[in-house]
Amino acid sequence: MSVYDSILKRIREIQGKTEEEEPLTNISASSMLTAEITLISSLLIALIMVRLISKTLMIVLVIAVFFIALMISPIMPKLMREQNDSFSNMIFYIVLALGIIVALFYWGNLNV
Amino acid sequence: MIISAQLFSFFTAGSLVIIGIFAALFLDNLIKKIIGLAFIGDGANLFIITMGYKPGGIVYIFLPNMTISNFAQNASYPLPFALVLTSIVIGASTLAVMLGLVIVLNKRHDSLSASKILGDESD
Amino acid sequence: MMDSLMPLMVIIPIASALFLNLLHDKDRTIKILAIVTALVLPIIPLLTGYGSHYFGGYAPLSQNSVIAQGLPAIITSTQLFVFHPGIVYVFGSAQKVMIFVLGIVAFFAIFTALNETKKPSGVYTYLMFMGTAAATAILLSDDIFNFYVFFEIAALAQIGIVIASNVKNNYETALKYIILGNIAGPLLLLGIALLLGVTGNVNITDIIYSIKNGYVNPQNPVLLMALALITFGWLYGSGLPPFHTIKSALYSKALPHGAALIQAITVFIMVALGVMILRIFSYLSFSKMAIIAVSLLALVLSITMAIVQTDFKRTLGYLAVGELGYIGIGLGLGTTLGITAGLFQAINEAIITAFLFIGFGTVLYKTRISDTRKLGGMMFENPRVALLVLLAGLAMAGVPPLNAFQSKLMLIQASVQAGVPELGIIMILLSIVTFMTFMRAFYIIYMRPKPAELEIHDYKIPKATIISLVAFLIICLTLGLFPQIATSNLQTLASSLV
Repeated sequence: MSVYDSILKRIREIQGKTEEEEPLTNISASSMLTAEITLISSLLIALIMVRLISKTLMIVLVIAVFFIALMISPIMPKLMREQNDSFSNMIFYIVLALGIIVALFYWGNLNV
Repeated sequence: MIISAQLFSFFTAGSLVIIGIFAALFLDNLIKKIIGLAFIGDGANLFIITMGYKPGGIVYIFLPNMTISNFAQNASYPLPFALVLTSIVIGASTLAVMLGLVIVLNKRHDSLSASKILGDESD
Repeated sequence: MMDSLMPLMVIIPIASALFLNLLHDKDRTIKILAIVTALVLPIIPLLTGYGSHYFGGYAPLSQNSVIAQGLPAIITSTQLFVFHPGIVYVFGSAQKVMIFVLGIVAFFAIFTALNETKKPSGVYTYLMFMGTAAATAILLSDDIFNFYVFFEIAALAQIGIVIASNVKNNYETALKYIILGNIAGPLLLLGIALLLGVTGNVNITDIIYSIKNGYVNPQNPVLLMALALITFGWLYGSGLPPFHTIKSALYSKALPHGAALIQAITVFIMVALGVMILRIFSYLSFSKMAIIAVSLLALVLSITMAIVQTDFKRTLGYLAVGELGYIGIGLGLGTTLGITAGLFQAINEAIITAFLFIGFGTVLYKTRISDTRKLGGMMFENPRVALLVLLAGLAMAGVPPLNAFQSKLMLIQASVQAGVPELGIIMILLSIVTFMTFMRAFYIIYMRPKPAELEIHDYKIPKATIISLVAFLIICLTLGLFPQIATSNLQTLASSLV
């Protein structure tokens, strides 16, 4: 199944839960597709910056992420579901981010 | 004394912050969540006060029969106390706003459950 | 003489806010007083001379020969001699431009608010003035604790603006924001406390003095912890991920003029805190990497989320948060050009996003609907406003000769110069996507045939709104054609940070 078809299917799944009467418009499908492509391409370009640390690592990461992205796409519907307005979701990510920031700054600075 | 008062106070401040974050994450009742949030603020305040503590220090008021160097060496540090006073006021006002919002939302939803009131909007 | 005008930038809005709050049912008085005070806001920074203001007259001992006389060597021969004993405000050319722009946005937000609402509300204007005063104080302050105090006041003012809006679910969003703020705020305070503990100071200049002159070990783990906690507070204050969902929700739950002001406050809080982090911690290369990483995440996540929204206010909210990523990348590059570009982008964004919020606000004013699935055909209602909104969108996407073109071009040049052209490519890519997102919303709202069930009220759009939109357009054009007006003023601050 092509990426486009699987995106359509995912959107239908999500929309089916909440508002069934809304038809799936071209605009919402194409915007989902744009978001998906933007996400993956900017992620891949950003990964090229790893070359400043290690060139081999960069190549491995870019290839790995490219294939992972192909396998698990569409990512955008999942990402959208995670970034919803539910408070428990927000606070989970915020405390997670706090943990990551403190750990990274503390050990990252001492060991880099 | 096994551990010094200052160290003990630091540990208390740290555990207050951790308990507060735990409450904000895991408790569903909004009032309990807010009590947890007050804990985080109190932990930060206690931390600052503890920093101003000086073992064997004297009150930072310059009395006529003191020498300046003696005063400078022994007076405890006044800045943390001044800061905490302001920070307590800020904490109290945000607490008031939060509780006020909870009152309104409790009337509207007839519940105090965070997952019910603060859930995703589409439901 | 001019020096004494500096605290007035904060005192005037606070004083008039407190006074407005007391007025009830005196609509005319509220309106006149609010507009006069709001007009004063952008004027004072232009009249004030550069320099420092010591509150209570507590200059450092080294500048105060009267008190310094007869002090023992334990004070005069140590660093205590140069430390600042009181709160210090610093006003330079960069602060002048930023406070001027904040004042302009505040003026037009308050001006439209007074004319779009049926009855001018003293309390609502109070909140808007308080928010502006807090952001001004944050820009001026050289004292991290004073910073924290106004940071919390700004958060409360933003929440108040949202609560006053009467939009559906605004209370829920406000409560979410304040609860998250009560986690991030005390942690920011804890970070400040750690800095105080290590250096014994809350004055930023003195903290830097202690670190640079070896009174404090720069690699002290407590300093790293302080950096982590302050960065976390910065994320909350500016709505960078993971706070982007709540920040964009906050924008979408405020009235358009409220949202225009909230985003300007947020932009300047982000800049002020980012500059502070760079000033104190720029010796840790990790701090700049973290700023860039978070900014990239903000750009990608917010702009992809903006595309898929069905509520145009939410789309704008996500775009506003996403644009912050450009500022962050500029600051994180750490070169003079990069930081100048980041600060310039901040100014442009504050104006353009306010322009967009107020412009799209006219749709809300005429229809009371923000769901794009139910909108269409607004072009025929008022083609002139539609043109203004289109120009605002073009400005945001960075189309010449409008202002964001200049700042985004500078950002891309800076990223190439700094040896990371990838950032430039990502910024170009995301500008294109931003443009597409805007055009999609614009097409749906304005150009698509009008849905049969859509009801357009025939309220006339107030003249004040049109005046504000035209004024924003003029500022965008001026800054786009003559970017030196802003950049020459911002450069001094930028080069002091490198």
